[in-house]
Amino acid sequence: MNQPNDPASPNPTPPNWRTAGPPQSPPTVPELPIVTTPLAADAAGPTVLETLLKRPVVLVAALQEARSSRFALLLGGFALLALAAYGIVVGTFSGGEQLYLAPLKISLGALASVLICLPSLFIFASLSGAEVTFRGVLGVLSAVLALTSLLLVGFAPVVWVFSQSSDSLGFIGLLHLLFWLIGLAFGLRLLGMMMDHLRVRDRFHIRVWSGIFVLVSLQMTTALRPIIGKADTVLPPEKKFFLGHWADTVYGEAGSRD
Amino acid sequence: MNHVHRLLTLCRGDSEAMVPWLEERDSRWLVTCAVVITLGCALYGGAVGLWRAPIQAAYTAVKMPLLIFLTCGGNALLNGLLAQVLGAGLSFRQSAISILMSFTLASLILAALTPVALFVLVNAPSLGSAERGTGHSVTMLTDVLFIAYAGVVANGRLLRLLTRICTTPEAAKRVFWSWLAGNLFLGAQLSWILRPFIGTPGLPVQFLRDDPLRGTFYEAVFGAAKNLLF
Repeated sequence: MNQPNDPASPNPTPPNWRTAGPPQSPPTVPELPIVTTPLAADAAGPTVLETLLKRPVVLVAALQEARSSRFALLLGGFALLALAAYGIVVGTFSGGEQLYLAPLKISLGALASVLICLPSLFIFASLSGAEVTFRGVLGVLSAVLALTSLLLVGFAPVVWVFSQSSDSLGFIGLLHLLFWLIGLAFGLRLLGMMMDHLRVRDRFHIRVWSGIFVLVSLQMTTALRPIIGKADTVLPPEKKFFLGHWADTVYGEAGSRD
Repeated sequence: MNHVHRLLTLCRGDSEAMVPWLEERDSRWLVTCAVVITLGCALYGGAVGLWRAPIQAAYTAVKMPLLIFLTCGGNALLNGLLAQVLGAGLSFRQSAISILMSFTLASLILAALTPVALFVLVNAPSLGSAERGTGHSVTMLTDVLFIAYAGVVANGRLLRLLTRICTTPEAAKRVFWSWLAGNLFLGAQLSWILRPFIGTPGLPVQFLRDDPLRGTFYEAVFGAAKNLLF
């Protein structure tokens, strides 16, 4: 085998002209084996979740090539449960009936957002030139939601601590928003992996779709309010856009302190 | 290749696969395109009109595909002539199918965005609320954005297809811009005649406004600009 400075090497490394003495060979880093074992079609739930976290590329490939919707249902079901768990923590801010309303609203709201945006994801992925199947897109979207919800569950203890310490609806709302966006940023990376797997470079339409999905999910939080605070009715009597609602919440709190 | 696969190929913009479709003498693909335009635009139109009233939704669901077909039909001869005069080497039939495929893609995109449009509608201030002006503006702005996106993507794909089938890339560009200008010019006036699509609050729900052929889109734009500036 040719060494880097072996004269017989086709591309010998030139000696370092700044230092005197014999040329130094670069430090050798042992190459880690790349695990590319495909995910078995009958893989158990924990294995699927482990793959989602550790080898998302393998999961995305499996979702694209899956001949059944088992993985999609598994990931979707897990996402709903994880979001419900996070919702319980959200509900602890107000307590009372919010302990069951918040998880219900968060799970169903996320599901509704996915259903609203699923047809456009299929078309937008196709517009990018990807040869996708509806099942494959559904699977990846379930994985996006599952990864987002998994991260939210990870944030849950932090949220709980703040929920017990603060009375400010605006602050807690901002915290949830921040965590949702962080979770979603990780989740939406799976769409990029899907495009890589399908060997598609054009990401423009997928980015536009990601923007639409983020907006829909944010509006969903306003459409299903109150999720964090309390109100006389389970659902809002008046329609608002999320930016207006947030502004009202923040200015309302600031006004009440005056 | 069945027609569902063809629609997906159309979405992917695989021009190479689309070229043989323009040579077909069979009209089934043409019919599929017409059906997709009808259903896609009707779905989206229904969502647009629903903010004003259910009957307005039904009217808009009829008028949106009608607008597409009237624009295509009204310009079919002109577009075919332009394609030949500008050296594209396309027959009348090939020109018509190319344009119809572009509108089919736009309709598919609009149909896919219909659930999002409905979600916006559900969240927009309703006609009975004090903020109905905001509701109208939000509905209109969303529609403009969605239709513009669908239009830009569909025309981008049309240009790509033309570049592949025309004799030279320059000829493809000339034909594309001339078609676009003609379709926009006629389409804008037809949309003026077929108004209302969303339905202005305070005005009655109608299929067409009283005396729809009075005035033009361009006069209205000129009048609005004059009011704004002077």
